[in-house]
Amino acid sequence: MFLDPDKRVDLSTAAGMVADGDVVALGGGLSARLPMALIREMIRQGRRNLHVVGSAHSLDVDMLVAAGAITVCEESYVGFEQDFGLAPAYRRAAESGTIQVKESCCVTILTQLRAAEMGVPFLPVRGIKGTDMRRLHPEYAEMTCPFTGEVLVVVPPLRPDVALLHAPLGDTRGNLYMEQPYVLDEHFASAARSVVATVDKIVATEELVERGITIPAHLVRGVAEVPFGAHPASSYPHYAYDRSATGAYIRAAGTQESLESYLDEWVRSTDEAGYRDRQGSAELERLTTWSESVDAWKGLFA
Amino acid sequence: MTYTIDEWFVVALARTIRDREVVFHGFGSPCAQVAMHVARRTHAPDMLLIEGAMYAINPDPPFIPPTSNDNSLKQGAAYSMRFEEFFDAASRGDVDRMFLSGGQIDGYGNTNVTAVGPLDRPKVKLGGGGGGCNISATIGQLTLWTTRHRSGRTLVSSCDFITDIGHVTPAGDRKALGYSGGGPQWLVTELGIFDYDGSGIARLREMWPDVTEDDVRSSTGFEFEVASDLGTVEPPSPAELAAVRAIDPLGVRRSEFDPGELQRTFEVALH
Repeated sequence: MFLDPDKRVDLSTAAGMVADGDVVALGGGLSARLPMALIREMIRQGRRNLHVVGSAHSLDVDMLVAAGAITVCEESYVGFEQDFGLAPAYRRAAESGTIQVKESCCVTILTQLRAAEMGVPFLPVRGIKGTDMRRLHPEYAEMTCPFTGEVLVVVPPLRPDVALLHAPLGDTRGNLYMEQPYVLDEHFASAARSVVATVDKIVATEELVERGITIPAHLVRGVAEVPFGAHPASSYPHYAYDRSATGAYIRAAGTQESLESYLDEWVRSTDEAGYRDRQGSAELERLTTWSESVDAWKGLFA
Repeated sequence: MTYTIDEWFVVALARTIRDREVVFHGFGSPCAQVAMHVARRTHAPDMLLIEGAMYAINPDPPFIPPTSNDNSLKQGAAYSMRFEEFFDAASRGDVDRMFLSGGQIDGYGNTNVTAVGPLDRPKVKLGGGGGGCNISATIGQLTLWTTRHRSGRTLVSSCDFITDIGHVTPAGDRKALGYSGGGPQWLVTELGIFDYDGSGIARLREMWPDVTEDDVRSSTGFEFEVASDLGTVEPPSPAELAAVRAIDPLGVRRSEFDPGELQRTFEVALH
């Protein structure tokens, strides 16, 4: 439990709470609430040998793989859906064997987190038998239920060293407010040894209480205020997904060489204030217009 | 008036849903996603529509965006499930139908969304299966689909990796594995529609009018049965076409198709 009354840190300190070799849980999912500012800062700091776990992910994992920060990938999905397709750097690394893919399944990961949350050494899970998933997970076992005689796959607890979460709002103590879907964030927060969060904005505790607190402060080790800290992922109610910025990454990701130039230009050669400047304030503001009309919202995806 | 294969395909998927079913689609599945909304606005008004990565119940999104995790997809929903709430419901057997696709699909409806080629050095690392590996075992019925049948690489004699469970696996059938879910009921492709016979093998039931049985056979890597009353897919009604167009103004459903397929255009028959 983290009991300091003021958990505010700068982004560099926050990213420094992740050590090389850590098991790192990534919050959010697909194009929403990805902890992108923390991802970029870890790349700037040259983090290595991470074992990343998550549900369905995209740019966060792909960019860490591109930067050579990941050794083991354990998610249920990494990609850009039908829109931009397979994840370019992740795919290259998996096909050339430079990362170990321990692909998993949403329910299995959830069950492993629940075991960690409950402090029990295993839990049973439905499915898996008959699939090839155990070729990726020799640590799973089978057990006969003492009550029904059913044979079930059992899985060990998953206790990440750190969970990296992004929330639109938080307070100085580290209470976090999120909009649904929370995906696995609540479970990551309880199961992990610590939570490091970014928030678009720090507000008074009373405002958070009014909206409802999603992750309580006692689970959070540090919170950094970073405007557009999930960009190009969405962080509702503030801003929608930046599809064109994501497209720019995909176009740069054709080869590792062009991807290195992208990382140099957008990440390594600048900080988050510089990143926002280079994205352009008009472009970023455009993402906040989603609530003005259906046409404005739809236009962000055209 | 004309319509295109993507519209008809989505309507065919929608028709696999029965009214008052609890239905779910995964992410990266725009055709299934649009189909669920078409069904709810036409023949299945009292279905329980669980919106993919949002877990929103019966939303009325103003449009379908090209990402499955966007707040537009929970507009109009009075309630959104939590992640664990949906997966618990699926695991205990409270979800009637799920849509599933795959980079490879075998004759028993096992699917591979993990990797093509050897696992340690895959030829193609696919994105991964989300929650399908667990809940394909326990959900009532599965509607499988692919828009890449004609490639010849999708419907295969055996999957290089089984991510999601069909009717029969090398480790046994559903009964032997102790699974409560009924498995694949339909397989809808851009060439035709299959159901599954008593032994769990795909059986060709219908084809699109511009497709021949030889087209289907030459694109399919497994042996399949052909229904004695092999027919043509029922054309979409004006109401179904209108629903497709209203729900998907951005046309995200088309992102699943090879551009060549999208040239397939059909005329509305005049009665």
